[in-house]
Amino acid sequence: MKSREQEYREIFMAEALEYYNAMSRHISELERDPADSEALRELFRLMHNLKSNARAMGYNPIGEVAHHMETIFGLIRDKEKTFTGSVVPVLFSGIDTIGEMIRAVGENEELPAVNRLMDNLDRLVKGEEPNLEDEEQDDDEDVSRKLELSDLVYIQVRKLDHLMNLVGELIIDRDRILTLSKEIGNPALATAAAHLARIADELQYSVMDARLVGVGSLFSKFPRVVRDVATTEQKDVELTMTGEDIQIDRNILQIITDALLHLVRNAIGHGLETPAERVAAGKPAQGHLTLSAQAERDDVLVQVKDDGRGINVASVRRKAVERGLVSAQGAAGLNDDAVRAFLFEPGFSMAKEVTEISGRGVGLDVVKLAIDSLGGQLRVASVLGEGTTFTLVLPTSIAVKGALLFELENRNYAIPLMHTDSVVSLLPESFNVVGGLLMTRIQDENVPVVSLRRLLHNGDGPLSPAQKTDLTGRQDIIIVNYNNRRLGLIVDRFLRQQDIVVKPMSKPLDTIDLFGGVTLLGSGQVCLVLDVPALTRLFLAKRP
Amino acid sequence: MKNRILIVDDSFYMRTMLKNMLTDAGYEVVGEAANGQQALEMATATRPDLITLDVILPDNTGLDVLKGIRQEQPDVKVVMCSAVGQEVIVSEALESGATAYIVKPFSEEKVLEIVGSALQDASSDQA
Amino acid sequence: MTGMPESEKIAKQDPIIQLIVFRLGQEEYGIRIEQVKEVTITPDIARMPKTPAFVKGIANLRGDIIAVIDLEERFNLRAADQPMPAVSYTMAIEAKEYTIGIMVREVPQPLSIAQSVIEKAPEFIQDVNIHDKYIEGIAKIGPRIIVVLDMLKLLTPTEIMQLQTKATSSAADSRTKS
Repeated sequence: MKSREQEYREIFMAEALEYYNAMSRHISELERDPADSEALRELFRLMHNLKSNARAMGYNPIGEVAHHMETIFGLIRDKEKTFTGSVVPVLFSGIDTIGEMIRAVGENEELPAVNRLMDNLDRLVKGEEPNLEDEEQDDDEDVSRKLELSDLVYIQVRKLDHLMNLVGELIIDRDRILTLSKEIGNPALATAAAHLARIADELQYSVMDARLVGVGSLFSKFPRVVRDVATTEQKDVELTMTGEDIQIDRNILQIITDALLHLVRNAIGHGLETPAERVAAGKPAQGHLTLSAQAERDDVLVQVKDDGRGINVASVRRKAVERGLVSAQGAAGLNDDAVRAFLFEPGFSMAKEVTEISGRGVGLDVVKLAIDSLGGQLRVASVLGEGTTFTLVLPTSIAVKGALLFELENRNYAIPLMHTDSVVSLLPESFNVVGGLLMTRIQDENVPVVSLRRLLHNGDGPLSPAQKTDLTGRQDIIIVNYNNRRLGLIVDRFLRQQDIVVKPMSKPLDTIDLFGGVTLLGSGQVCLVLDVPALTRLFLAKRP
Repeated sequence: MKNRILIVDDSFYMRTMLKNMLTDAGYEVVGEAANGQQALEMATATRPDLITLDVILPDNTGLDVLKGIRQEQPDVKVVMCSAVGQEVIVSEALESGATAYIVKPFSEEKVLEIVGSALQDASSDQA
Repeated sequence: MTGMPESEKIAKQDPIIQLIVFRLGQEEYGIRIEQVKEVTITPDIARMPKTPAFVKGIANLRGDIIAVIDLEERFNLRAADQPMPAVSYTMAIEAKEYTIGIMVREVPQPLSIAQSVIEKAPEFIQDVNIHDKYIEGIAKIGPRIIVVLDMLKLLTPTEIMQLQTKATSSAADSRTKS
């Protein structure tokens, strides 16, 4: 049992982080419109609550800072002060400090020193000028800070995770019982099984629903980030956000937090031009950044869109050759989408010089890995001179995936739909052999095709060259797509499309990355789930 | 019979703490409200003996809620909760019919003492 | 076993241990019973490509997905004319971090012996093809010779996966032969 004290602490932390996020949002609103009385009132109220709660918990330093901040927001509200001049940076840094203090409490670390902030707040109350030297450097540090999501909605996420796992098990048993009841053919059993299936479905839906949060809970952190990054990069940026109400699994949102942060920093650092460059290019001086979310079938599309300089395909092509990712000849034959896909290769960075903001450690390959781990997709579209759009295609929920089931050597395998373009059934005359590779034309594009059986059972060496005589009769082919590379996999037989619950591969076999996990079919049969990224890499490494 | 209490506070933390204190002391917490509108609805729906009311709420100020409740339920006891710095509002609240007030952060004894004596008044009123 | 003089001599301070005894090829092997979680008819196994041939694949054992291995294949103990029967048995063994299944041809049998019956492995052990570091000792019971295995050493991830390159090539061999 958790002690009541621990429970209070957890609630305090969750609420304090929520307050901090809301305060960050409201102060940005107030900066845009100093007459926004709604934002001001909220700042006052949140500061007031934080003060009371912190004092009740015995976190007096937080209480003190919040108390001073509340006083100043009170003065502004009562028109005795205005939100202008030196008041602005002091209050911004006050909210940052509060964020740091809350995090320090959460991590059981020592609280940051606040003498200077308290001194400045005192000066403001007394109507004196604050001491703002060195304030710039502090700002730079803020830019690299980590964003955090609250761990509590009404119950802890890990409890929801557990619930979700149990529901996953239940769904497997549901399928098994449905299969059995069909085999046995008893009407009473069939009715009971159908009822069980309905209840299990509803339960699954409810548990998934309980884990959904609005994308806005992550987006709301960005006005502040954009402001800080834009200041450091000396860019003028207007941020628009849409689709904050779109619902997505909280853990997915957590996993994409850093990816989104990176894309936004990149867009401001590299995508958008300086006001002078923009004017020279005949564009409005202020750059535009859009963060949007929309639901598309079962997926959620999150986009980061800028109206900056766009991606220079020619220079990406050149760099890909320089880095040895592709031969000069090969590069010349690639279309623009294929060239832009190089941006996601490990270590490929387009920035001429590593700037302070976007140069911190990660490249787009890390963004891509995060999205891959969710079974999602990362796409980029760009028009030179007009801007760039990154699109994250994310599942709404991680636990259940749509998959295509097929048969290979009398065994069932599953392949996630996320990476499946289409399925085709082709006669041998539809293939050509080019350089030892089977090729076929799908939607006006040449797609390499490989026998999955040969790919999986090949030893360590390269695949032996394919021959048309290997093919007899119709070939069932799954066209998979990873990082803009299409690949056809010849399988023995398509089975059906089905929602599956993927279980992680058990040790010690988890080192084989070709399989994203296993799923249990209604028949109780174990079914391997193929990992398309790993399979594509294997093909590229082993092709003749 | 247990005395029935409605808690109005926009902080989940504060509500949880008050609820635990009051429930442990044998009161029945009949509801929690996080804003003014909820407070008015819950007060009508639950007819509590006593309401703890935070002075600063997201939609209305606590003062407006107090007046709204008073109009409908003249007998309900209302204990205002405030932090230091809101003395002006508190005194106005007392003039508008609040029974008592608690200053945050509060100790358990203080809360129980004030709630207890506010309810004492209630029973003596009826007698 | 009751007639054995050495067990009478030391019966007082000699603890009795329980083994699960099973057959690999023509030989008898034993595992301490504490290491065996359960014995069941081998469930449906999904072959895992890119694993050593002696890793038969993965199976669903009451909701646990476990790897199943074939020690006859691992130690080259299978006689050519004795393929694994259609119905075989699987012992679920608790290794350090996971459970693993070992496929055997006959129902394994429990056997109680005195601790002292297990002797350090002598030289001739080279003959049984099992590297002596997996062997805890040899139990001689009348005419029977039981090789007692140390499962925890045998079933570490490195032991199972490090063999991959060697085993993949031998797997390829066996496939081309068949």
